[in-house]
Amino acid sequence: MDQTTANAPQPTAAPARQPQPILFTGRGSEYFGIWIVNLLLTIVTLGIYSSWAKVRRLQYFYRHTELAGSTFDFHGRPLRMFYGRLIALGMLLIYSYSVRLHSLVTLLVLALLALVMPWLLRNSLRFRLYNTSWRGTRFHFRGTVAGAYRVFLLNGFLTMITLYIMAPFMHQRLKSYQHDNSWFGRTRCSFHAGAGRFYLVYLLVLAAIIGFFVVLSMAGVFNAFASINAAQHGGGRVDPSAIFRTMLITYGVAILFGVSIGPAFHALINNLVWNNTRIGEHRLECRMSPVKLAWITLTNLLLLVPTIGLFTPWAAVRLAKYQLESVRLLPASDLQEFVDAEPESPGAVGEEAATAFDFDISL
Amino acid sequence: MLQAQYVDGRSTRVRTVSLSVSGTDLVITADDLQRAEPLAGVVFDEQLGNAPRRVRLADGAFCEVRDLDGLRALMASARLRDGWVDRAQRHLPWVLMSVVGCVALVAAGYRWGLPWGARMLAQRLPPAISAMLSRQTLKALDGGMLLPSQLDGARQASLRSQFQALRLPDGEPIRWTLLFRRSPALGANAFTLPDGTIVLLDDLVAQLDNDQQVMAVLAHELGHAQGRHGMQLLLRSSAVGAFLAFYLGDFSQLLAAAPAALAQARYSQSLEWQADEYGSAVMRANGMSPALLADALRLLSKSHHDAAGVSYLTSHPPTAERMRRLEELAQLRPVQPSH
Ligand SMILES: [Zn+2]
Repeated sequence: MDQTTANAPQPTAAPARQPQPILFTGRGSEYFGIWIVNLLLTIVTLGIYSSWAKVRRLQYFYRHTELAGSTFDFHGRPLRMFYGRLIALGMLLIYSYSVRLHSLVTLLVLALLALVMPWLLRNSLRFRLYNTSWRGTRFHFRGTVAGAYRVFLLNGFLTMITLYIMAPFMHQRLKSYQHDNSWFGRTRCSFHAGAGRFYLVYLLVLAAIIGFFVVLSMAGVFNAFASINAAQHGGGRVDPSAIFRTMLITYGVAILFGVSIGPAFHALINNLVWNNTRIGEHRLECRMSPVKLAWITLTNLLLLVPTIGLFTPWAAVRLAKYQLESVRLLPASDLQEFVDAEPESPGAVGEEAATAFDFDISL
Repeated sequence: MLQAQYVDGRSTRVRTVSLSVSGTDLVITADDLQRAEPLAGVVFDEQLGNAPRRVRLADGAFCEVRDLDGLRALMASARLRDGWVDRAQRHLPWVLMSVVGCVALVAAGYRWGLPWGARMLAQRLPPAISAMLSRQTLKALDGGMLLPSQLDGARQASLRSQFQALRLPDGEPIRWTLLFRRSPALGANAFTLPDGTIVLLDDLVAQLDNDQQVMAVLAHELGHAQGRHGMQLLLRSSAVGAFLAFYLGDFSQLLAAAPAALAQARYSQSLEWQADEYGSAVMRANGMSPALLADALRLLSKSHHDAAGVSYLTSHPPTAERMRRLEELAQLRPVQPSH
C-alpha cells in the first residue's frame, strides 16, 4: 500500500516517539451555524431538544480535537441524556423547593440528595468517559461507589468543618479518584501529584488575591492624601468628578481582577493535574499560561455583552483551542499498542444531574 | 475511489482504505482487506464543520473520511441524503433565519409568553404555595427592611375595621389580611404579597390627608390581591432568573433574590391598570369616588421630593395617562352611597 500518495495526514505511520501536540481545528464561523440552528430548535421545543444540541456540541469539539493524526469522538445518545436531564431537573426542583421550606423536611431532603449525589457524580464520570473515544477506542472510568462517597461526602464534610483549610487536599483526592480510575481501552491512567503541590497553587492564588487588595487599598490611601492635598490647594473644595473617576478606576480594576483570577487559578491547576497524569507509560505535558487564559476569558466576556450572546460560538472555540493546544502527549512507545477492552454501559443520569447542579469536575 | 482511514473497532490500528458503492453495498478495500456492507446497516455521521466524517459499520468498525466532498458524492451515488438539521447547520440562509428566529422568539416569549404563562400558573397554583411563599417573604423582610409599625393600637384597629368593612364589587367580604409595618427603606408605601396579604407602611398613612385616601390606596392593592399579581410577578422573575442562570450556567443565585425583589417589585403597566380598574370598582361599590386614588397619588408626589428612599411612587408612578384614566373612572357613573 502506497501511503505517500494519500493527501490525508499519515496517522502513526512511523513509530510516534516524538511529543504529540493536541490540535484543535474548530472554527467559530463553522460552529455558529450548528449552535444557532440547535438553539432555535431548543427554544421551539421548549428545551427538549437541548440534549440533541448538547450531543452535537460535544461531537463538534471532540471531532475537531486531533492527536497524532486522529480525532476524538463522543458517542452519547441524545435520548439517554434527555432522561438524565429530566431527573436532574426534578432533583433541582426538589432542592430549590425544600431549601425554601426551612423545616425538618429540608434537612431530610438535603441528606437524601447528599446520599445520592456521589453515586450520580461517579456515574456521570463513567458515562462521559465511556462515551469518549480516540481512534475508535473508548475511555472508561472504573472508580468504585465507595471511593465516590469517600471523595465527595467524607472529604467534602472534612473540608467544611475545617473551614476550607482542607480544600486543596480534597481537590487532590478528587483528581486522584478521577485520573487513577480512568482507562484508555485496557491501559490504565495514573495520577502522581501530591496534596502538597495543590496547597502550593492555592497559596499562590491566595497570595495574589491578598497582594492585590493590599496594593489597591494602598493606592486608595495615597489617592485620598492626594485629593486632600488638592482640596487644600483648591480652597477646600473637592472636585466631585475626580472622586467619581477614582471610584470608577477602582471598581474597574477590582472587577478585572475578579474576572481574571478564576481562569488564572484554572490554568495553574490544569498544568499541575495534566503534567502529573500518565496514560500507561505515556506522559502528558500541559503548558497553560494563567495570564493568557485570563486574557481570553476577559475578552470573551467583553465581546459577549454587546453581541447579546451571539459571540458565544467564537468564544467557546477560542477558549477550547487555547486550552486543548497547550497539552502534549509524550509517548513512551508506539501508540499502536492500545487495544480496546469491552466496557459496561452506564446510564446518562449521572452526567446530566451533575451538570444541572453545576459541579465542575472536568477539565 | 474515496480514501478513508479504517479502524476495526478492536484495536487503535489505522489502515488506509478506499470506499466505493456497488449496488446496495458499501465496499471497503485495502491490500489485506475486502469488506462489503449493506448500505442499510451503515451510519453516516453528521458533517460537523470540517471535521473528518465517520462512516460506521454495524460491528463497531468505522471509516474516517477527510475528503468531505468526495463522501457527499459517494452518498449521492447511493441516493443517500443528510438529515435536514445537518443540512440547515451549514446552509447560510437557514443559519441567518435561525438568528432572526431565536431573537424574535426570545423577545416574544418575554413580551407575551411570560405574562401569559405567569397568569395561567398563578391562577392554578394551590393557595398553600402562595401562603408559604408569603410567609417566607415576610420572614425575610421582617427585622431587616420592615420594622414594627409605630401607629398606636387604636389607629391600627380603626384602619383595619374600615378596611374589613369594604365590600368587593361582587358583594363578597374581604378575605385578605392587612398588616401594619414601618420601613425607612421603602418609605411611603403599600404592597401586596403573593397570597394577597396587604402590607401598609406608616409613612403612607402619615402622608395622606384622610382615611378615605388610605382606603383608596388599599382598594388599588385589593386589585393586586384579587388578580394574584404578586404571584404572577414572582413567577415571572423566577422564570427570568432561571433562564439567566441556565444561560450563564450558574444556579447559585437563583434561590436568594426573590423576597427583596418582591417588595420593590414594579408591577407592569397593564397590571397597574388592572389594579386601578378593580380598585375603582371597589371604591364605587363602597360609595367612594375613584378620584380619591388620584388625590392620594398627587399628595404622595408632592411630598415625594423631601422623602428619602423608595416610595409608593417608584412602584406606582402617577403618570398623566393613569391620572386621566382614574378621573375618567370617577366621572363614569355617579357615586352611589351604600351606607
Ligand atoms: Zn399597584
